[in-house]
Amino acid sequence: MELQLEAVTKNYKSKQVLKGISLTMGAGVYGLLGPNGAGKTTLIRILADVLRPTNGRVLYDGKDIRTVGDEYRAKIGYLPQDVSFYGDFTGRDYLEYSAALKGMEKARTKKRIEELARSVGLWDDLKRKCAAYSGGMQRRLGIAQALLDDPEILILDEPTSGLDPYERIKFRNIISAYAKDRLVLLSTHIVSDVEQISAQIMMMEYGGIQHIHTGGEYVQMMEGRVWLAEMPAEQLMDYQNRAIISNVRAKDGRMEVRIISDTQPAPDAVQAVPTLEDAYLYLFNYLPGKAGR
Amino acid sequence: MSLFRFELRKLLLNKKTLLLLLCLFVLYSVVGLTSTMFLIGGNDSYRAYGELAAGWEGPFDSEKAAEAEKIYQEVSARYGTDARMISRSVKDQPEVILAVNYHAYTERVEEYWNGTPPESAEEPYGIALLQGKLAELERLGKQNTYDYRELSASLQRLEELGEPEFANALLWENLCGNWGEHMMQFLLFVPLTFVTAPVFAVERSSGMDNLILSSRNGRRKIVTAKLLSVLAASTVVVMLYLAATFLFGFLPHGSFHGWDAAIQSLPTYARSMFPWKVWQLAAVGAAWLIFTGAVYSLIVCFISSRMKSQMGTAGVSLAILFVNVGLAAMGDIVNQRLGALVDFGLANVTLMKEVFGGYKSFNVFGMYVSYPIMAVFVLGVVSALAVLGIYRGQKSRTVV
Repeated sequence: MELQLEAVTKNYKSKQVLKGISLTMGAGVYGLLGPNGAGKTTLIRILADVLRPTNGRVLYDGKDIRTVGDEYRAKIGYLPQDVSFYGDFTGRDYLEYSAALKGMEKARTKKRIEELARSVGLWDDLKRKCAAYSGGMQRRLGIAQALLDDPEILILDEPTSGLDPYERIKFRNIISAYAKDRLVLLSTHIVSDVEQISAQIMMMEYGGIQHIHTGGEYVQMMEGRVWLAEMPAEQLMDYQNRAIISNVRAKDGRMEVRIISDTQPAPDAVQAVPTLEDAYLYLFNYLPGKAGR
Repeated sequence: MSLFRFELRKLLLNKKTLLLLLCLFVLYSVVGLTSTMFLIGGNDSYRAYGELAAGWEGPFDSEKAAEAEKIYQEVSARYGTDARMISRSVKDQPEVILAVNYHAYTERVEEYWNGTPPESAEEPYGIALLQGKLAELERLGKQNTYDYRELSASLQRLEELGEPEFANALLWENLCGNWGEHMMQFLLFVPLTFVTAPVFAVERSSGMDNLILSSRNGRRKIVTAKLLSVLAASTVVVMLYLAATFLFGFLPHGSFHGWDAAIQSLPTYARSMFPWKVWQLAAVGAAWLIFTGAVYSLIVCFISSRMKSQMGTAGVSLAILFVNVGLAAMGDIVNQRLGALVDFGLANVTLMKEVFGGYKSFNVFGMYVSYPIMAVFVLGVVSALAVLGIYRGQKSRTVV
């Protein structure tokens, strides 16, 4: 199974949101990281076939998904950024309706709904109206919907927004267990979501995929570029406008600052163990002026 | 559960719509009840009318016509010449209502034999008039023209139907009025608009488009399910209207008298070329309303598939409906100029009195085609285009 993007561009009037993305994905978990406005959701929507590219094409096993049509959509599970519901649908109605849309058989639908509802912790709430669910419950219901037909390609847009830490971990475990022999594309701007489970992490900015590496490669790339330095609070105010700072912690009346820099930022700065989050900030050059994009 | 059942639930079988249907049933019942109460006074008046009319039913009688004329002259001097208005003014005087109705029947008999005046803009009607026009065409050697064939066919039909007979079909006349006049378009088609408007637009406004468009059945099968649910919903709403107006139209007087009279005994259908009984007309009328309701719903459905909101869909649909009603109400001169636009516009084509109450025909490549057949054809084409447009639209639809 292979999903390939060939010079995919997407324009909204005069604004180019995707700029000729070419990419090949096989089985495995792919994390798509990028700041807001990078074009992640547009790319996800094109892959989910709910949006058409202005130019370029998406190939599934070498065939254009527009010509494959229903057959391609039968292979995908999609969790959009905003999960929506009909006002009078219960959780069970929503999943049954999704199953009908996916063309699932009745007996299998019943079985899968039970499995997934238990798995995402909604079994006792299936009879309640979706509209009465909390944000986290709605998100979990959306995840169950995406997994319902056991899709070959799972496309998740911001799947963990609204989930509490326990639910996030549970979600990661579900996806990890699920991902074997399947393609999972997980778009987020929360680095920790993809750090643990993604085989490949794509960093996206300004409508293009800027980097594709494994989590380990990103961390390796940051060796010698992450520093810890201590400074008074007054100095920090000025310093943070000139440097990429990934963390600040108060320590014995001074500030312990985690700085990302190619060179030693201060004489007393010591090297720290890098993380994916450091790489994210480094690669996107997250200087304060840019963060406001 | 199949997609159709879900779509039906979303459109019809939900609390809000069921409540709306209940309110509509009450409204339609009141319409049926009040229209029949305006027709004639209480039950006693209707019974008395029936007993009096029993002696007047049958072929034309000049003595009765003279008697009715005398009463009509007296009463029209006081209440005007509109038979309906007179009847409403003298609801408790069945003998006067009978005379007024017999007077109107006398005029229909006169028209049957002598026809429309030569200066009339209407299509020629009446034995003598048709014979005269045919003779004129024969004199000019135009026996092979479409006009000659059309007039010959009309004359033949008219002769076969024979002179109209007088019948007491008051309640059926009322029913056909409820089912086939302009008020029906407001009572039935406006609610129908609001029931069917959400069918596609709701997916955009609710954001469910994401789920639908990315699924295997979200491009074709869902359209079939939605179309079937729209047809089912429109049939339910129309049936509700038909049932309520039928039930409460007849219930107060507990009578179906006149069900087997010829439809030419109903004033509105006096010129109809169909050799039907009144009950047959009612059956055809009911079927016609179900059919035209379905076509209108498909048009609304098409609009819904192109709009982002339900209110936008309802607004555009109602604008189309009211523009049609406005055009049809603009009088003969405008109607003649606009021709087919009015004939096959929603205002006229949904009214059974327009389609089945006359003798209008169309020249299609030299062939004589009656209005109902042309109407079925045109509405069929419109429906097919709407359905095709919806399928094509959904195939290329994207989220916004």
